[in-house]
Amino acid sequence: MSEEIRDELRAVARDLLGQAPPGREADWRRLAGAGWLGLEVPGALDGEDATFAETAVIAAELGRAAAASPYLGTVVLGAGTLNLLEPVPGRDELLRDIANGQAVVTVALPDGDADGTVALPDHDADGTVPYGDDGGTVPFRLERRAGQPDGFQLHGQAAFIPDAAEAGHLLLLARDPDGTPVIAVIGPGEAGLSVTPQPVLDQTRRLALVTANGVGVSADAVWRFADEPQACVRRLLDRAAVAVACDSLGVAGAMLDATVGYARIREQFGRPIGSFQAVKHACADMLVQVSVARELVAAAAQRLAEDAPGDPATSVAASMAKSYAGAAAVDVAGKAMQLHGGMGYTWEAGIHVFLKRAALNRSLAGSPAAHRRRLAERYRAG
Amino acid sequence: MTDLDDFRASVRDWCREHVPAGWRQAQTGVSDDEFVRFQRSWFAELRQAGYAVPHWPREWGGGMSTAEQAVLYSELAAHDAPRLVLAFVAIHHAAATLLAAGTDEQRRRHLPAILDGEIWVQGFSEPEAGSDLASLRTTARREGEAYLVNGQKVWASGAMHADWCLLLARTDPGAPKRHGISYFLLDMRTPGIDVRPIRQATGESHFCEIFLRDVVVPASQLVGPENEGWRVAQQTLAAERGMTMLELAERLGQAGFRWLVETCRRPGPGGRRPVDDDAVAGRLAELETEITGLRALCRGLVDRHGEGPADASIVKLYYSELLQRMTDFGAEVAGLAAHAELAKPASSGWESGAWVLDFIGSWEWTIPGGTSEIQRTIIGERGLGLPRGA
Repeated sequence: MSEEIRDELRAVARDLLGQAPPGREADWRRLAGAGWLGLEVPGALDGEDATFAETAVIAAELGRAAAASPYLGTVVLGAGTLNLLEPVPGRDELLRDIANGQAVVTVALPDGDADGTVALPDHDADGTVPYGDDGGTVPFRLERRAGQPDGFQLHGQAAFIPDAAEAGHLLLLARDPDGTPVIAVIGPGEAGLSVTPQPVLDQTRRLALVTANGVGVSADAVWRFADEPQACVRRLLDRAAVAVACDSLGVAGAMLDATVGYARIREQFGRPIGSFQAVKHACADMLVQVSVARELVAAAAQRLAEDAPGDPATSVAASMAKSYAGAAAVDVAGKAMQLHGGMGYTWEAGIHVFLKRAALNRSLAGSPAAHRRRLAERYRAG
Repeated sequence: MTDLDDFRASVRDWCREHVPAGWRQAQTGVSDDEFVRFQRSWFAELRQAGYAVPHWPREWGGGMSTAEQAVLYSELAAHDAPRLVLAFVAIHHAAATLLAAGTDEQRRRHLPAILDGEIWVQGFSEPEAGSDLASLRTTARREGEAYLVNGQKVWASGAMHADWCLLLARTDPGAPKRHGISYFLLDMRTPGIDVRPIRQATGESHFCEIFLRDVVVPASQLVGPENEGWRVAQQTLAAERGMTMLELAERLGQAGFRWLVETCRRPGPGGRRPVDDDAVAGRLAELETEITGLRALCRGLVDRHGEGPADASIVKLYYSELLQRMTDFGAEVAGLAAHAELAKPASSGWESGAWVLDFIGSWEWTIPGGTSEIQRTIIGERGLGLPRGA
């Protein structure tokens, strides 16, 4: 899609999502009807044949509206994961259901604050794969069930997984008995699986703790990556990071606009407060931060749309976008609260919704410090 | 391979062959005459390759796309090429002014001459007209076919070497302050001009005062209509800002940041490398991220021809303060050794790697060309539509 079409998509999404007050649930059926859930789903499966660059537009607009929705789990991670898998029965069906708005999905990925390396651990002498001593990056493991050659048992735990409590399908990143990262597809009611909501201060996001304690998994529910698995996992982590960075950009843009609008009309000492240099210059700094964040996020989204998995430049761009936009949105939303004065601090004004979302985004999919650590590896060699 | 890759390869080859080996050492602590000689010879080399004025229109000797310019600047910086310091105002400000508002005759007279080495200086600021530039007091009184100019200019960078000056002077003392100003091309050999260097915070003296006493400027040297000089200056300054920033941003990324990483890899007195400290590594990552954002902003600014009313101010403000943060950090990490670097290579960039001098010199970006405070006001008022102050 061209830049003009993305601009149009942005305008339509802003209009539609702006109809509800900030912090409300987005109308999932309308998102599906607009084609936004199937943006990256192939056309043959009722999708739009678009790219991450378009997914990024919707992610940013959801942030701007502070809308609650299972978009991150279902579209960014769910469809993103399915597209990276070998075509197997069930996969295409699930992609079509996502596009049509009938399936809510989540993906349990490695913790974004762990370094994201998914190097294969050394096998123990007895052939089992140790779990947890590789930084705990791959959250689940599959063990062969004694006497049942086709079946596995799933163990492991992942915390703060977006949209897991409402998902009809849980795509859990696991190591198979050979140590290869795979996706185990689990329904919510399986014996041994628990999905426990983890309420957070940001009421626009729903996160949950996913625990598997010997969940039975048949061989046809173990789906493999079509490409090199490490590169695919890295790609998913980068998608998560950039989608959350888009959300932060949207939050920051909304807060800048709200603050400028308020500073133009709110009068003190007989003048609009926006005429005071202290306020004006703070708004200018907000605009600069939003402008820089927009460039970094656009560059990362473009790379995710165009580069094949495994390109290290994509991960560099993703870490830059996430670390900058994640931190900038907190600064901007915090400044928005400050410049709205006492009114801004009230529950009713709603600035807190954006500030909490910005702060949660900063921690989701890897903190700024974790992403900078990854970037900094490149300086130490040589 | 794309055309851009081909172009990059050809610039690389050219740099390997033409960037003078060891120029940084050779140009450290040199006389003014040697600096000027070196600048002129480097300009001639670049011109021969077609690299001196890539941002000019094709018919005048330029014609590169934004992407090509970014590649050119990026490769020049990556190969530690000298910067065009002496020709800076000529190829950017003077050319932009002539192209946007000059007469055909003025263009034909000066653009080829600039390619042959004509040096320009900007005569805008005055002792009583800094941030409030429009309150300038230098007068130009019409006398027949000429103007008689009297007044004083300051912060004219490189005026002692300049052949020509971009001059703002008041032609209508009775008009509101922005409406009585005219824009002139002033031949620096005209009688009545006295140039005196000012020593700056870094110890160098490239800023000058220009005293103008009964200086005769022919009416043909007026740029744009009489009393429209403020508008001409505003337009052309905004238009050329993107061009200059494209080069400076690539420099910051390809040269400055690379040197900063090198500095951080150098073992300190205890044998420890700063880069192995997580706090240092994190700051480096933060700076690289910001530089990447700046480079994208600059390319966007040039591509969109400054479409947003405050885009040029955003880039200027962000570049200046990022340069200051980066050189500040360089000075901190480099430690006492950086304080013993008493001179930086002439012809180097704003991030020469002599970090303390670079840090002190960074105020040369946050103050001139509209201070950071003025830029924030412009961004707030023109970019965001906030009301003007009382």
